[in-house]
Amino acid sequence: MDALISQLQRQFRDYTISLYQQGFLDDQFTELKKLQDDGSPDFVAEVLTLFFEDCVKLISNMARSLDKTTGAVDFSQVGASVHQLKGSSSSVGAKRVKALCVSFKEYCEAKNYEGCVRCLQQVDIEYKALKTKLQDMFNLEKQIIQAGGRVPQVDIN
Amino acid sequence: MTVEQNFEALDQFPVGMRVLAVDDDQTCLKILETLLRHCQYHVTTTNEAQKALELLRENKNKFDLVISDVDMPDMDGFKLLELVGLEMDLPVIMLSAHSDPKFVMKGVTHGACDYLLKPVRIEELKNIWQHVVRSRFDKNRGSNNGDKRDGSGNEGVGYSDQNNGRANRKRKDQYNEDDDEEKDDNDDSSAQKKQRVVWTVELHKKFVAAVNQLGYEKAMPKKILDLMNVEKLTRENVASHLQKFRLYLKRISGVANQQAIMANSDLHFLQMSSSLNGLDGFNHRPIPVGSGQFHGGAPAMRSFTPNEILGRLNTPSGIGVRNLSSPPAGMFLQNQTDLGKFHHVSSLPLNHSDGGNILPGLPLPLEFDQLQTNNNNNNNNIRNMNNNKSIAGTSMAFPSFSTQQNSIIGAPNNNLVVLEGHPQSSPPGFPGHQINKRLEHWSNAVSSSTLPPPAQNSNSINRQFDVSPLPQSRPDTLEWNNVSSSYSIPFCDSATTLSPPALDTTNPRAFCRNMDFDSSTNAQPGCFYDTLQTRQSGNYGPTTDAMLSSSNPKEGFVVGQQKLQSGGFMSAEAGSLDDIVNSTMKQEQSQGDLSGGDLGYGGFSSLRTCI
Repeated sequence: MDALISQLQRQFRDYTISLYQQGFLDDQFTELKKLQDDGSPDFVAEVLTLFFEDCVKLISNMARSLDKTTGAVDFSQVGASVHQLKGSSSSVGAKRVKALCVSFKEYCEAKNYEGCVRCLQQVDIEYKALKTKLQDMFNLEKQIIQAGGRVPQVDIN
Repeated sequence: MTVEQNFEALDQFPVGMRVLAVDDDQTCLKILETLLRHCQYHVTTTNEAQKALELLRENKNKFDLVISDVDMPDMDGFKLLELVGLEMDLPVIMLSAHSDPKFVMKGVTHGACDYLLKPVRIEELKNIWQHVVRSRFDKNRGSNNGDKRDGSGNEGVGYSDQNNGRANRKRKDQYNEDDDEEKDDNDDSSAQKKQRVVWTVELHKKFVAAVNQLGYEKAMPKKILDLMNVEKLTRENVASHLQKFRLYLKRISGVANQQAIMANSDLHFLQMSSSLNGLDGFNHRPIPVGSGQFHGGAPAMRSFTPNEILGRLNTPSGIGVRNLSSPPAGMFLQNQTDLGKFHHVSSLPLNHSDGGNILPGLPLPLEFDQLQTNNNNNNNNIRNMNNNKSIAGTSMAFPSFSTQQNSIIGAPNNNLVVLEGHPQSSPPGFPGHQINKRLEHWSNAVSSSTLPPPAQNSNSINRQFDVSPLPQSRPDTLEWNNVSSSYSIPFCDSATTLSPPALDTTNPRAFCRNMDFDSSTNAQPGCFYDTLQTRQSGNYGPTTDAMLSSSNPKEGFVVGQQKLQSGGFMSAEAGSLDDIVNSTMKQEQSQGDLSGGDLGYGGFSSLRTCI
């Protein structure tokens, strides 16, 4: 069991580090992890769940706003949704999503339709990718706990 | 709640502080809630602004602090901020992913006491309780002192520095609004003996310089503090001072008539600072404006109290700016006490003001004015005002100056002089910048020339003072002489180059101060001013310049002022002028107890007496 635990822990650590290295996560995520304690053991998971829900909602808002069939595109509306997504992604540490939002916002301000559509597609891909990765990470955590071990604190540096 | 009570409450504070968090984004709200809980605050959340208002209205005492996001669908965060400030008088912190300074400014102008950027860090939240304490302090202070300071805690300053709670204390101490003297211990909170920071002219100049260096909008207390590099000065001190300064500027800029502002700002400021003792009638309250603040860059100028004086002097244009920048904060305050006679502004906010450029680029605006009114009813106000004024003044003041100064400018220093005179040209908030630059230029120029072209000095001074009174637009020595006699060319002393013997450092300052008082604006009898006016014509010129350039800032200040006044005198007359001034000064000095010391530099004292 111990060997298993150690192995799982090592896997977890490597995986987490890779997420940071690949730019999926940043320091803010680390901060969130610090906030997790015995009082709120699933804090990070809860927050991320909320975040992904927000992503879905905002992306559909953006898609609707960018839908030309309903008339002229209101870039300010798109921009507002992007801004919100930027705020929440930066708060959870979703680095790639946030970076995308920054360029997305610029396209909105420039009223560049193609640019916006492209960004929207990318945002959709990115948040889903992040979701998958984080789910894998949470699964690893669960396995460690089930095996009786403790989830190690990963030092990103 | 008395101060003591406040303090006691503070002991428990910030634990259990009741915060209302508003954000339509559920992710951010959740994170914020958790962060706040980790700071041991008591948190209530809502994702709707309307709901938040209802919660606040149903029980006004239910919350201590509100944190709200800026972009919300049902109501603009700024609107909420305003309503909360008005109705409940609670401190509100804005939160946003927008880092654009425009938004920060908007937050400040709408009364936010802080503006945080997302993602919010726990370190920042750990210090937000200071805003509540500060707010309470202000209220107490206001009620205790009876000053008009707005007791709603400073919502004016939008910087998001992390200050310790000590800031509250310092603020009170430093800005003793209705204090007559700087030393007056406004510190009601006897419980904590906070070392009161006296914003001397020098200090203020540094402050203004730092602010200028950083850029007004970017000026954060921590950075300012680092730039100032003053021992024992805390960020809270700087923060408070900055706040005042901003209010002052704002206030000043608010005035439609720039000139009036400039001129009046000092006075106004002074008036506000009731503490000015001795300042009888004379608004002079530290005319921070011209004096000292000038920080234009010329170090010598810096010490000018002229800014202060200028402030006083009706020359809104010149004065305003100067003072603002480097208010000889100390001066200002100090002056008040000592100067009583002096009235000048010297006590200017220099202390407060950011040593840096208030003017230079500051649009004066805003906060400072508010602060001023709020806080400073007393000295502070004046000081701030002065500062602001200076800034504002500069722009405004200049116009007045320009006429005069320009004429004076003749001399090489013209650039300086001109500068001042140009308040008009410079954008109202910005005169400071220009001025500062010019000042620097000027100071350089001055130092190089023996006789600082009157222009230079006048520039600085002009700015501060309302040059307008100077009858002659040109540097006309003759007149100058006349003037100088009455004025004490205190400036001169600083101007070593000028070598007016009489002008000893102390004197010049004093002189300047007087000068500052805009004749027009001074209701006061301002002996000084009157004399100045007469003198202005000629005397200022050279001596002041010389003085300015050569010596410590204070002198410069004085000189500058003088110059302004005399418009013409700047040039070479210095010698004669100096003499005259010196003699005058001496007399005046003896009269008053200008101990320049108050201001931070000796010069003013003489001026004071004059006045």
